[in-house]
Amino acid sequence: MTDSSIIQTIVVLGIVAVALVYVLRRVIKTTRGHGDCGCGCGKNCKCKTKHFD
Amino acid sequence: MIKKQEDSNKNISTRLLDDEPVGMTVQVVRVMGDGAFRQRLLEMGFVRGAKVTVLKNAPLQDPVEYMIMGSHISLRHSEAAQVEVTDKDAEFCDMEDAFNGIVETEVAGVDPMADNVLRVVLVGNPNCGKTSLFNNVTGAKEKVGNYGGVTVDSKEGWFSIGGRKVQLVDLPGTYSLTEYSPEEMYVRTYIRDNHPDAILNIVDAGNLERNLYLTTQIMDMNIPMVVALNMWDELEKSGDKLDIEMMSRLLGARMVPLTAYNGHGVKDVLQATMAAIDESEQETMHHNVNYGPLIEDSLKELGEMCPELDRYTVLKIIENDQHAIELLNNKDDAETVKSRATELRQLIERDFNSDIVSIITDLKYGFVRGALAEALTPNPNRATGETKPGYSMDRLLTNRWLALPILLVLMWLMFELTFTLGAYPQDWIESGIGWIGEWIGKAMPDGILKDLVIDGIIGGVGGVLVFLPQILILFFCISLLEDSGYMARAAFIVDRIMHRVGLHGKSFIPYLIGFGCGVPAIMATRTLENRRDRLVTILTVPFMSCSARLPAYLLLVAAFFTANQGLILMSIYLIGILIAALTAILLSKTILKHDKTQFVMELPPYRKPTARNATLHMWSKGKQYLQKMATIILAASIIVWALGYFPRHEGQTPQEQIENSYMGQMGKAIEPLVEPLGFNWQMGVSVLTGAAAKEIVVSTMGVLYTGESDATEESTSLKEKLQSATKPNGEHVFDPIVAYSFMLFILLYFPCIAALAAIKREAGWKWVAFEVVYTTGVAWLVSFIFYQIARMV
Repeated sequence: MTDSSIIQTIVVLGIVAVALVYVLRRVIKTTRGHGDCGCGCGKNCKCKTKHFD
Repeated sequence: MIKKQEDSNKNISTRLLDDEPVGMTVQVVRVMGDGAFRQRLLEMGFVRGAKVTVLKNAPLQDPVEYMIMGSHISLRHSEAAQVEVTDKDAEFCDMEDAFNGIVETEVAGVDPMADNVLRVVLVGNPNCGKTSLFNNVTGAKEKVGNYGGVTVDSKEGWFSIGGRKVQLVDLPGTYSLTEYSPEEMYVRTYIRDNHPDAILNIVDAGNLERNLYLTTQIMDMNIPMVVALNMWDELEKSGDKLDIEMMSRLLGARMVPLTAYNGHGVKDVLQATMAAIDESEQETMHHNVNYGPLIEDSLKELGEMCPELDRYTVLKIIENDQHAIELLNNKDDAETVKSRATELRQLIERDFNSDIVSIITDLKYGFVRGALAEALTPNPNRATGETKPGYSMDRLLTNRWLALPILLVLMWLMFELTFTLGAYPQDWIESGIGWIGEWIGKAMPDGILKDLVIDGIIGGVGGVLVFLPQILILFFCISLLEDSGYMARAAFIVDRIMHRVGLHGKSFIPYLIGFGCGVPAIMATRTLENRRDRLVTILTVPFMSCSARLPAYLLLVAAFFTANQGLILMSIYLIGILIAALTAILLSKTILKHDKTQFVMELPPYRKPTARNATLHMWSKGKQYLQKMATIILAASIIVWALGYFPRHEGQTPQEQIENSYMGQMGKAIEPLVEPLGFNWQMGVSVLTGAAAKEIVVSTMGVLYTGESDATEESTSLKEKLQSATKPNGEHVFDPIVAYSFMLFILLYFPCIAALAAIKREAGWKWVAFEVVYTTGVAWLVSFIFYQIARMV
C-alpha cells in the first residue's frame, strides 16, 4: 500500500465512524423522544425573538 | 319515529332533530342522554332556544350538516336523534332571562416576573387563527391550516416589546376547558400548572356567540385576559357592527381587533396584553359571569371552604367534574367539601329543574347572548338561517352525486401533477448530479476516497435528491387542500365509510397528514376523543404512504411502467388506504373492540389559499428534505457503502466484490425470506436500511447498484441501472411485477424509527412491537400474494 492509499483509508474509516456514531445517536435520541426528527412535528427550538419595540 | 312529549316548562310539542328535513330551521329544547358527548354538543351551542338549520346530508346520507350560531356542524343521524327540537317560532324560552350581568371578584396583585419569565398563552376555539398570530408574533413557521386540530401540542416562541422579552405559547384549539378530548385536557392542565401571566384569547369575530363561551370559562380563572377579535376584516365585510368598548366593559377585558393572516392589529394586541399584565401587579377586580343568587351563593360558600382554588375550579367541583374533584384529594376536609358540593349541586338542579351541566352551559350562553344583544348590531339585510359567505362551494364539493368523484379526481390530480410536472426539474437535477460525478471522477485520483465520494455519497444522496421537485409539488398540493377548508369536507364525505370500518370521520385528517409524514399524523390523532379510536388510527396511519416512500415509487414507476404512471402511483396509495381500512375493521372487531363513537365536527368556511402560505409550507418541507439529505441520508449512505465495500478481496469483479462484502453476506442471509416476493438480496437489504428513514431505501439501491456497475461503463442514472440489472442467469432482476411487488412491500412494511417513536409516545412500547410485527407480516403477505398470482397469470 502506498502512503497515499493508507492516508485515504484512514480518512475514509474516520468518515464512516463519524457517520455510524451520528446514525446511532440520532436513533437513540429519536426513540427517547428528544430528537428533532425533521418532520415538522418537533419543538420550535430554533424560533428567534421578534421585536415589536 | 317522531317523538312527542310535553316540555316540562311550557306546553310545547317536541320532535327529534334527526327527523327534520333539509332546509328546516328549528329551536333546540334539550340534548338528551348524558356524558361527555352531550356536554360537547351543549358547548358547541346546542343549548335551549338555539336555532338550528338542517343544511344537507353527506353524499352517503350520514352525517348531516347543520348550522347553529353561524357555525356549520356535522352530526351523525344517531347523534342528531339525541337533540329534542321544536318549531323555530315557539315561545318557550327567553334566553335574555339567563343574562344576569357580571359579578366582580377581587384578585390580589401578583409579580409577573416571580418565575423570571413573562409568559402569555394563546387560547381559543379550533381554527380561529391562533397559530397564524403565533407565527406572526414570534417569526415562527408553525403549520397552519383551515381546519380544527392542526396544533396538537404547545409551541413556544418569543417576542420583545417595550424592552421586555415575553414567551408566547400556542396551545391546541379547544371549544371549552372541559376535558372531552386530550387536547382540551392539555390546555386546561397547561394553564393550571404553568400559571401564565396573561391569556390571549383569540376569538373568531364573525362567530362571537360560540367563541365567547370559552371566554366565559377563562373569565372564571381570574387570570389577566385580552380578547383578540381575529378575522375582523370578515366581520366588517359582513356588515355586522360591534361596539368593542361596551363589550370590553361587560367582559372586563380589553378587546382588540385583529387580522392575523396579514398582521393588522398585532402590535395593538401585544400592547394590550402587556398593559393587562402590568395592571395585574396591583389588586384588581375581575369580571365573572353572574350565575344568579343560588349558584353565586354556592360558589361563595364552597370557595370559602377551598380558598386555594380559583372560581373556575370551584364551579367545576359543583359540576361534578372528576378532574377538579381530584384536586381536593390532598385536603384534610376533602370529604366534607365533596359532600357539601353534592348537596349544593342537588339544590341547584332541583331549583332549575334541569341537570347541572345544562344549567351552567345555558347560563354562560345566556350571558354571551345578553352581552351580544347589547354590543352587536347584526347586518339587517341578512335573513335568518342564511348561510354565511364562504360556504357556497359546498353546493358542488359536497354535492350528493359529485362529492366522491371530485374527491377521487382531486387525489388523482395531485399524484399526476407530482409525477408529470416534477419530471422536468428532476431531469435537470439528475443531469447536474451526473455532471458533478463525472467531474469528481476526473479530478480525483483513483482510490478508496474517490469510491466513497462517487459510489457512496453521490450514488446514495444523489439518488434521493433528484426527487426534491416531486416532494415540493406534493406538499404544495396538500397545502392548498388544507388552507382551502377542503380537508374537513373530505372527512364529512367519507365519514360513513370510515364509520363502517370502525373509524371516526375525524381519522381522515391524520390519514391525509400521513401522506406527508407519519409523525405529525400520529400526533394529529390527539383530536380524537376516544382512546380506542385514537389507537386504531395510530396503528393504521403508517399504511398511508408518507412522502419519504415517494422517491422509491417514483423511481420504480418511471423505470418499469411506461403508461398511466399517475394512476399506478395512485393505486399504491389506494391499496394503502384499503389495507388501513381492513386493519381498522380487524382491530375494532378484535383487540380494540368498542362501541360506536360519536362524530361532531365543525366545517370551516372555504378560504382562498394564499400563495405565501402554500409556498412557505412547501419551502419548509423542502428544507426538511434537504436537511435529511445532508444528515441522516448522507450518514446512512456512507455506512451502506462501507458495508458494501469491505472486506476487500483481490482479483474479484465488482459484482463478486459486493456479493462477498458485509452487506452482501447480510443480504444473502435474508434472501430466502424475500425471494418468494421476487426480490433479490439488494432489495432485501434496502428495505432493512429503510428503517432509519424511508428515503434510505433508494439511497441504498443507489449505492449498491452504483457499486455493481462496471468501471468502464458510462455514467447512467439509477433508473437505467435498475432497468439493466441482471441475475447470474442473465434474466432481468426487475420487471413490472417485481417492481410493483417491491412497491407494495415498501408501502406496507414497518414505519421508520421516527414514526415508531411517535407511536411509543402516544401509545406505548407494546403497540410499537405490535406495529412492527403486524405491518411487516402484512407487507410480506400482500407482496407474496401479488407476486405469485401475477406470475401465474
